[in-house]
Amino acid sequence: MKTRMKEYRARLGLTQEKLAEIVGVRRETIIFLEQGKYNPSLKLAYGIARALGASIEDVFILEDEQV
Amino acid sequence: MKTRWILIAYAAISLLALMLMLSRENLYVAIALVAGILLLGHRELWSLVRYGRMPVIDERVQNNLTGAMRLTGVFFFIASIVLIMLLRFNVFKNTPTELIISGQLVIVGFVYLLGYYYYDRVRPDLGERAARWLKICLITAGLSLSTIALAIVLHNLVSSWFGFEDAFFFILALLVAPAALVISLLGCLAIYIKGLWASFSNVEQS
Repeated sequence: MKTRMKEYRARLGLTQEKLAEIVGVRRETIIFLEQGKYNPSLKLAYGIARALGASIEDVFILEDEQV
Repeated sequence: MKTRWILIAYAAISLLALMLMLSRENLYVAIALVAGILLLGHRELWSLVRYGRMPVIDERVQNNLTGAMRLTGVFFFIASIVLIMLLRFNVFKNTPTELIISGQLVIVGFVYLLGYYYYDRVRPDLGERAARWLKICLITAGLSLSTIALAIVLHNLVSSWFGFEDAFFFILALLVAPAALVISLLGCLAIYIKGLWASFSNVEQS
């Protein structure tokens, strides 16, 4: 799964640490999410999208073969 | 939150067991328990010392903890069977039982630690090729271990049934299978350390 978390985070001027604090996860989790190495639960994806002021579809992009 | 309470409950029970062992002068088990507490709660202790607060246990950490605990449970079960077999055949003749059990507990603690870091750091950075090799190495290690046990039994059976010293199963049990076991374990370790190293430098750079 691809994410646009980094892009949205940069737009808001949020650090990984700050975003992690808002969402209630560890900084490492944000790193793995941004690198596409961890697939979040729907609840976490929703929390991140809300913290970034976007919708889930905008932040997390599912590649065609995963559908 | 649930995981945090499980950890706190584990630490409390371990401390009670520790006091009991110290009062009964079972020093080795007491040391093993302290090592176990330190291994299991190393992240929490580190966070308390460095930041003065408990670390966040999010869904990724919970998944990793569950995976590591499952792996440790399986290992503990297999290790106990192997240990019972070794005790049955008097392999540790002059070693106190409490020292053997303590050793097993500490090894189980290290397996938990290895398991946690595998799920937390190694697996996300493991490429397809490395993952395939790790699987091959683990299967080879398991097969080698089973072969050693089976070859010992077969060697004794053949010798008692046919009345001559069997050489095939003897060499298999003492040379071939142990060599395969050592090579496959070294392979696992190399892939693990490589993955861990890559992950730590990756997280540091981000």
